[in-house]
Amino acid sequence: MPNDKKSQKIVDIIQNAARKHSLFVLAYGTGCGAIEIPPTMTSRYDAERFGIRGMATPRQADVLLVTGYLATKTLKRVIRAYEQMQDPKYVIGFGSCTINGGMYWDSYNTIKLLDKYIPVDVYINGCMPRPEAVIEGFIELQGLIKDGKANGATKYKENIDWYRANQKKVIKNWNMPDYNW
Amino acid sequence: MDNSIWISILGFLATITLAFVVGVFYGGLVRKVTARIQNRVGPPFYQNFFDIVKLYSKTTAINHGWMQHLGPAFAITASVTSLMFIPILNGQGDMMWFENLNFKGDLIFLLYMMVFGSLGMALGAGQTGNPYSAIGVSRGLSQMVGYEIPWVLALVAIMMQAETTSITGLIDYQNANDTWMMFESPLAFIAGLLAMLGMFHYAPFDVPFAPAELASGPASEFGGKYLALMMTSGAIMAFVKLVLFVDIFMGGASNLVMLLVKTFLLYMVPVLYGVVSPRYRTEQSIRYFWGWPTAIGVLGVLYVVFIR
Amino acid sequence: MNSLLLIILILLGGAVLAYLAKRITPMLSSIVSFLAISSATAVFFTMTSSTDIVEVNIRNFTLEFGLNAYSWLFGAMVMGVSALVSLYNIAYMKGKDRLGYFNSNFTLVVMAMMGILFSNDWISFFIFWEIMTWSSFLIIVYNGIEEGKIGTKYMIFSAVGGYAMLMAIVITNSQINSFLISDLISSFAGLDMGMQSLLGLLFMIAFSVKAAVMPLHVWAPRAYSDSPMSFTAIFSGLLSKMGVFGLGIVLISVFAKSTNSNIIVYTEILAWLGAITGVMATFYAVIQTDAKRLLAYSSVAQLGYIVVGLAIGTKLSVMAAIFMAVMHAIFKGTLFMAVGAVERQTGTTDMTKLGALVRKMPWTFVAALMSIIALAGIPPLGGFIGKWMLYESLITSDHYFLIVMTFLSSTAAFLYSYRFLFGIFLGQEEKEFENVKEAPATMVIPMMILAASLFFFGMFPGYLFEPIANSMEFLGMGQVDWSMTVLSNQWGDQVDTLSIVNSIITIFGIAFIFLGLKNRKKTRYVTTKDIHTGGEIPTENENLTYAVDFYKPFERAIEPAMRRKMDFYYNKFGNGLESLFEFVRRIYTGNGQTYALYVIIFLVILILFSEQIFL
Repeated sequence: MPNDKKSQKIVDIIQNAARKHSLFVLAYGTGCGAIEIPPTMTSRYDAERFGIRGMATPRQADVLLVTGYLATKTLKRVIRAYEQMQDPKYVIGFGSCTINGGMYWDSYNTIKLLDKYIPVDVYINGCMPRPEAVIEGFIELQGLIKDGKANGATKYKENIDWYRANQKKVIKNWNMPDYNW
Repeated sequence: MDNSIWISILGFLATITLAFVVGVFYGGLVRKVTARIQNRVGPPFYQNFFDIVKLYSKTTAINHGWMQHLGPAFAITASVTSLMFIPILNGQGDMMWFENLNFKGDLIFLLYMMVFGSLGMALGAGQTGNPYSAIGVSRGLSQMVGYEIPWVLALVAIMMQAETTSITGLIDYQNANDTWMMFESPLAFIAGLLAMLGMFHYAPFDVPFAPAELASGPASEFGGKYLALMMTSGAIMAFVKLVLFVDIFMGGASNLVMLLVKTFLLYMVPVLYGVVSPRYRTEQSIRYFWGWPTAIGVLGVLYVVFIR
Repeated sequence: MNSLLLIILILLGGAVLAYLAKRITPMLSSIVSFLAISSATAVFFTMTSSTDIVEVNIRNFTLEFGLNAYSWLFGAMVMGVSALVSLYNIAYMKGKDRLGYFNSNFTLVVMAMMGILFSNDWISFFIFWEIMTWSSFLIIVYNGIEEGKIGTKYMIFSAVGGYAMLMAIVITNSQINSFLISDLISSFAGLDMGMQSLLGLLFMIAFSVKAAVMPLHVWAPRAYSDSPMSFTAIFSGLLSKMGVFGLGIVLISVFAKSTNSNIIVYTEILAWLGAITGVMATFYAVIQTDAKRLLAYSSVAQLGYIVVGLAIGTKLSVMAAIFMAVMHAIFKGTLFMAVGAVERQTGTTDMTKLGALVRKMPWTFVAALMSIIALAGIPPLGGFIGKWMLYESLITSDHYFLIVMTFLSSTAAFLYSYRFLFGIFLGQEEKEFENVKEAPATMVIPMMILAASLFFFGMFPGYLFEPIANSMEFLGMGQVDWSMTVLSNQWGDQVDTLSIVNSIITIFGIAFIFLGLKNRKKTRYVTTKDIHTGGEIPTENENLTYAVDFYKPFERAIEPAMRRKMDFYYNKFGNGLESLFEFVRRIYTGNGQTYALYVIIFLVILILFSEQIFL
């Protein structure tokens, strides 16, 4: 079809607009950052006006929000939750801990850079980031989605071996099922 | 080919579109109203359209077996079939487009048709093997036994009064006597309204889904297209319930504007009641329905039998 | 030779041969039983209704056998279902011991049921009735000595029913000097009031035992669940319908002639008993953990509806009752067969242990699903038609609280329906049942045929309305209107089954193509361990099944109603009788002097009151 590309483009625009305006968040409340999520969602800052909404299970969620430091034990659960989510999916790293380990820099059992284990689309720095900063981060993600640049999931799929190797390095009792989609 | 077939097919499509748009729109409005009550701005009223389009555009990569595919299919079958058998407008105005199969079914058929979807959905949820889904289903079905009793009492009362079981018959009765059933047998209306609180599953009767307690209940393992289809059928089902209620208690609606006004006012009852309520436990919920609502329903039936 | 006698003889001969065939090889016995029943079925369906009447004159009373529209309907049901069940029986009973004993009794039960249907007089009716009771009793105790108590319970209640019937028959004969059923119907109006009430009561007790109506139902759940499943399919599906058959004659033909206005109170009470049976048995079915026990209680509940329909006695309600009776025979037969198949393949029917058999036994699941949909009364399958007619008849005849009772029990029926499917076929995959295979074709095919017939009757109920209307005309209800696909009540409200079925099939088809076929290819199957568990990775041994106390919240809600079982009252009654007899026994002290005292006291009383007594 001659205008196949064009129609695909229109579909993409509609889809991206819908995705941008509807972010179902799986807030993985690790560490102290989780305390910033309730004010973000409730009356004071009301993230729902941007279409951001909490979801209970990874099957239904689009965004994995990792709030804070990740012990190796927790990392395993985060990876599992991420792998159970359906494409397209995004990750937001929250707080300094997901960027460089934060105050856990020299801890023996926390990871330092989340991006080595799962592909992070947007980081929100600060310790702690205030709800304003969280919303700012979400809007940044929305911009990326609109431009079609939030492609962490494809990155993960393409470089699965590299990610797996990194994951296996820190997770000792490896019993994860294969990543299957 | 016969022209009337095409007209009726177009009528089906028009009805489904209307129900879908209105149902989804109401869903967004409910979120907005809830937000305003909680002193928030809230999402735009068209938010639910975005959600559904997004969910349809998501990939669905896994399944747990055949029933997981069939569950949402059962749900949408039930809601669309129920829609086909419900009079949208009351025949005073121009109802050609929404006539569908109105004269082919009646209230008792509709009661069972509406259960069909829940049971199909429950089977799909059962196939996934998620214990949360099973708990949700168990709670949902238990609660259904609760609210069906006042609901049936209310229906019996009005059916005895109008001496018909068909919905079109009930509407005609109300139009002929120039009155609304909610004034003719007010006790039945109250019982039906209380049962409706349970039917919409807003708090305090949201035990089957119980956010923060059961993941999201039966839907826990459903994402992407499955969830989109479930939301679609949920929106249509909400519309069906509202229109049914308007038809049998409020004399139907002569045009679309009246329909929207009546259904919206009616919808606000469970929503506003729910926003300010915590959640019951399942057995409390069942006992609630078997308490005052049932008593009022019994009185409503006796009122129709002995006084009218 | 006369075809009625031929059927009875084929079945009787089958029973004997089945017993003998066991000597050659045990499986031959089941095959002989199947051949006998299926050839009797063939004979039955080639014969036209209400033609041959056989009269046997013994001294001064007449035994009469014949076939009428009413018994033809039940006969078609009995023969059709039992032929399929006996096919299923071959594979189901393979490898079990005492097959000759089982199969000959199995065939004998079918023979007795046909005999009951053919009887035109109470004597042969009673004889076949007792043969049916005894041979079914022998099968109940087939499983061994620990089942004896269930057998005893069954026997006691059947004896109560049998004696009631015998008494009624003798009274009938002494009043009208004839054993013929038609004579009773025609001369019932001539009897005096008290006699009419007494006869009605006795017959109602006699048939209520087999139809498992409320105070007389306690034998049913265990007897149904603890017999071999291939027999229970007949026991619950067909044998209980003999009670319905009898109740139909008594409640409709006989009572319609009654001049006693109090008789309406009887039928009202019976209807309420039926409704209460429905509710209570449903509640008990909900809390069962054993699939067989669940279905057994559900049978009792479903029979409750049928009794309600018969007792109300309007045209629509009787039609509903008979329709539901046929549907119940079909779907409950299928369900018991499905449970039997599961039991044979896995060795258990405990719903807390089973799970996720849908991938292992898909055809059994489809049959069970169809039957469950029919049982729950959900359109478009046959069960809905019966439920609809029952509700419409209740509401148009002003039984407004009965409709709420029946609705309560049929809503609560969704609970156990789902529990049954979930407990056995859905949920978590169990390692124990990894290598389970589908049941053999001879077991699956009968189930599928019956399940398909449910769909057929849901679409074209008219094929069943025709014989029902004929038999109602025979029972004396006059002309009954029916149409092929449209149901209607006396207020003129209608339901068109064909447009319902079309609408459902079209929409479901579209959704199915969209989801089931198109989407399924893009997805891949993952095990039931791959679910949302809060990020945790469940190991092989971790149990994620939600199966124990499935309906705990519901149990808590209905707890006040469940405190006392009917057994409790019977035990209390029994204990009361025992202490009464204990007291009576004290009179016989074994001391000669006490006896002398009794004699003296007796003489004194005689002398004191002699004037009053002898004057």
